Amino acid sequence: MVLLLTTYPFLWMFFSSFKTNQEIYRTAHIIPEFFDFFAYKLLFSNDLIKFDEVLLRSLFLSGGQAVLACLVTAATGYAIAVGRFRGKRLLFLAAMLLILYPKQALSLFLFEWMVRLGITGSLYGLLFSGVASGLGVVFFAQVFKKIPPELVDLARLEGKSHFGCFLTFLPLVKPALITYGILHFLLSWQEHLLPLLVLKSDELTLPLALAKLSDSSYRIPEAVGLAAGVVALLPMLILFGISFKRIRSALSDWVVS
Amino acid sequence: MSGDQSGKGILSFVPLFGPFLLLWFIFWLVPLFTGLELSFTGHVTEMASDGTMVGEYKATWGNYQAALGDSKWVKSLGNTTLFVVGSITSTLTLSFFLASVIFRMHRVSQAICLFLLIVPSLALPGTLAKLFYLFFHGKSGVLNQFLVMPLGFQQVNWMMNPDWILPCLVFQSVWRWTGLITLLLFCGMQAIPRWQFETASLEGANRGMVLQTILFPGVRHLLWFAAIFLLVDGVAAFSGAYNLLGGSGGVLDAGLLFVTYVYQVAFPGGSGRFDLPLASAMSLAVAIATTGIAYFLIWSSSIKGVAK
Repeated sequence: MVLLLTTYPFLWMFFSSFKTNQEIYRTAHIIPEFFDFFAYKLLFSNDLIKFDEVLLRSLFLSGGQAVLACLVTAATGYAIAVGRFRGKRLLFLAAMLLILYPKQALSLFLFEWMVRLGITGSLYGLLFSGVASGLGVVFFAQVFKKIPPELVDLARLEGKSHFGCFLTFLPLVKPALITYGILHFLLSWQEHLLPLLVLKSDELTLPLALAKLSDSSYRIPEAVGLAAGVVALLPMLILFGISFKRIRSALSDWVVS
Repeated sequence: MSGDQSGKGILSFVPLFGPFLLLWFIFWLVPLFTGLELSFTGHVTEMASDGTMVGEYKATWGNYQAALGDSKWVKSLGNTTLFVVGSITSTLTLSFFLASVIFRMHRVSQAICLFLLIVPSLALPGTLAKLFYLFFHGKSGVLNQFLVMPLGFQQVNWMMNPDWILPCLVFQSVWRWTGLITLLLFCGMQAIPRWQFETASLEGANRGMVLQTILFPGVRHLLWFAAIFLLVDGVAAFSGAYNLLGGSGGVLDAGLLFVTYVYQVAFPGGSGRFDLPLASAMSLAVAIATTGIAYFLIWSSSIKGVAK
């Protein structure tokens, strides 16, 4: 019953993206009378919004944030897990504060700060604002705690710097990197408020485009919004589908640490 | 372990945590102080000796006083509290139940169920809002057709009835996060040592006892973690309500959440007030309360152990 309630609406969304408004409002029917691709054609025709640019912008933002966040937070997590230095607890506290008071709640202040810096409208400003993640630091700190201290000491005896050791051990935590990368990609993919405030009105990301397509004042056929929903869901389904086994394994390792 | 307690020790780790700290400083700490400064900024207008009105910006508590006197803000806080409490309790209960059911399934069924459950977490909140509006909502929507009417009740106009708007937002949140939390709890259950189940089986423990004495204690720390995640996400919730209610609070502001209202206060197009200082005061006041609650939750759990 719960599985049906969870997944059936998405099947309905997929089939409804080929339907007319009249058919869509009859929710009991799932299969369309005709498979008409007009919604997808309209979406990618760029008549309503430049959807291909929207898609590329979202991919660039989420992908860039995910890759950089993996590197930056894994390095910090490694320092917390392996290092014994003054200020380590303060560093951990900084990460915890990021979890407790996340960027979404800080959007208003971040926007004002970006205005003062003169970087509103900048895609790179938005990208870098989402790289530092408290969740990532805590996650990787727990992951790197599993590396035996003897291994770290051995690498140090070979003359490697701490950064060198980190690079050596990085391939060992590949499943964790993939898992966190995908989770960060997902959270960035879904971000709505900060792009709404920071980006120019014609530079949309997927959540903003979806809100625009759903705005009743534009009188856009419902199928177009549903088609956008399908297109927005596909990359995440593919990413999770390919890596699901690794994600499960990394999460299982993480929860016991 | 590597490193020492001296200054030299910390310097050798700077290349590792330096980029994080720099970004944290630029995109978290400075904006926070920017918000703090904004929240104390007030426009004071006084009459000059020549009779003209002179305006200047002064540091003042006025924004905090104005926030406390703003009935819509107080209402949005009440709504957000109900939304967060409803989302956390429903999601955690349902996720724990689902994880314990899936835990007993065959491996292949486990993978299929977990993947299907996670699909709503992968969708944009705007997609969930649109699906809710088209699929669940309305006279011919699934909720009325398969839940309300078969039980002999009148059709419910979910988004026009103030009593139902908030439960609809909670429903969206539960729908969105249950799969991901179930996956987390399931992984936690898998990590419980097998001998505990074998011992329980030898002692003739029934499913209820296994649930109570092995599964629940085994994932309690993850339930804390999930509660913190849902608390922070719930307080900062924006997209789902924004899409479903078109940026408003719905009928009688029954679905007005805190972030939506702050957005309305700060930017024209909402209520058109363009009052960033007041919006900043509202945000900071809630941030302090949320951080306090989340801090309590974290220190009640085992997450703090990582820094040791």
